[in-house]
Amino acid sequence: MGGKGISKPVGETLGDAERTRFADLLVDVAERQDRDAFAELFAYYAPRVKSYLLRLGADGALAEEISQDVMVTVWRKAALFDRAQASVSTWIFRIARNRRIDLFRRSKKPELDPEEEMILPSGVEAPDARIEAMETEARVRAAMKDLPEEQVLLLKLAFYEGLSHSEIAARLGAPLGTVKSRIRLAFAKMKVRLGDE
Amino acid sequence: MIKVSRQTELDESTRAALASGRAEPALDLFVDILMKMRGISDSEGEVISGVALELEAPADLSADALAMAFAAIERGGAAPKRALAYPELAGLPPRLREAIASAESRTGWKTIGLGIRSLDLGAPGALKAEIIRVAPGTTVPRHTHKGRELTLCIHGEYMDSGAVYGPGDFSIRDASIHHEPEALAGAPAYALAVTDAGLKFDGLLGVFQKLFGL
Repeated sequence: MGGKGISKPVGETLGDAERTRFADLLVDVAERQDRDAFAELFAYYAPRVKSYLLRLGADGALAEEISQDVMVTVWRKAALFDRAQASVSTWIFRIARNRRIDLFRRSKKPELDPEEEMILPSGVEAPDARIEAMETEARVRAAMKDLPEEQVLLLKLAFYEGLSHSEIAARLGAPLGTVKSRIRLAFAKMKVRLGDE
Repeated sequence: MIKVSRQTELDESTRAALASGRAEPALDLFVDILMKMRGISDSEGEVISGVALELEAPADLSADALAMAFAAIERGGAAPKRALAYPELAGLPPRLREAIASAESRTGWKTIGLGIRSLDLGAPGALKAEIIRVAPGTTVPRHTHKGRELTLCIHGEYMDSGAVYGPGDFSIRDASIHHEPEALAGAPAYALAVTDAGLKFDGLLGVFQKLFGL
């Protein structure tokens, strides 16, 4: 698997060209069942999805099992991916988040939902909604680049890890009020449309 | 008890209150289904999370992980969709429908009163998520709960404390409140209930604080 495809230094986000490439690869998986394209996506995403699951408290074996399950779902549901609606990273995150409810249920393998709700297009999409989704993607990515590291951390804890504000305060040893106001501030920057400020 | 009707705009801070504590699986399910039923998206939060996934340090995978994934792909399609005990629930958002199908095969529905059944969804974590089914025209005897309860109407209609609940409406109550929900005649009513059994769980408390204005 090594030496092929996009290999990014740890702790960097994907650039525009790389995100376009990953979207192309996922379309290749959908249209041609392209195994090489899938292997490249797997090499990048499977280890990161596993890290996400470990972060949420899964043990190594379970995290490995579920990350594979997530990637198999990526293959099977690739046709539902709409590059105008989400980046590949956002799309795969949704699949992984859906799996986390099974995290501690060791007795039973998580089952694949034939329809996989979160990744289904949400009904009839108005053209506006698709433009809005692309704008949101660009706006949030740009804002996250500009935010101080501390605020990025707060957003990750709140949205990615799904921690409550009190849990974040305890984790960081910061007063609850401070955590609340900083998250509100950081999130407000995500909501401001590009060029509005 | 507070009713939050489907028409009520969920403002930013209420949504933040609901979303906080999504690490708790029962609440995560509740929030997902609520947002789905109301057509609300959490697009900023999802993009933030997609970026956070890119920032992860990759974990080590076993050497044959990719081969095993291909093997699973070749083994073929997903498990066949199981039929639900109550076909009227087939139109629910798939995540909830799947949770119901899975719980039905694990523990099944329990009768908890005349015309009243419950299905424990077996959510891991501190909160309990269950489906309550009330047969047409049945009244759940007046009761209180050990802890706080969030209840989302998912199918049919019921009357509780003078208000009618339809799909997408939800209520919030704490342990002190007595209530006796009643399904309207003609069709059964179903609710997704999340309870904290008096554990004073932080995420649910946040929702309460926000919505009760505490």
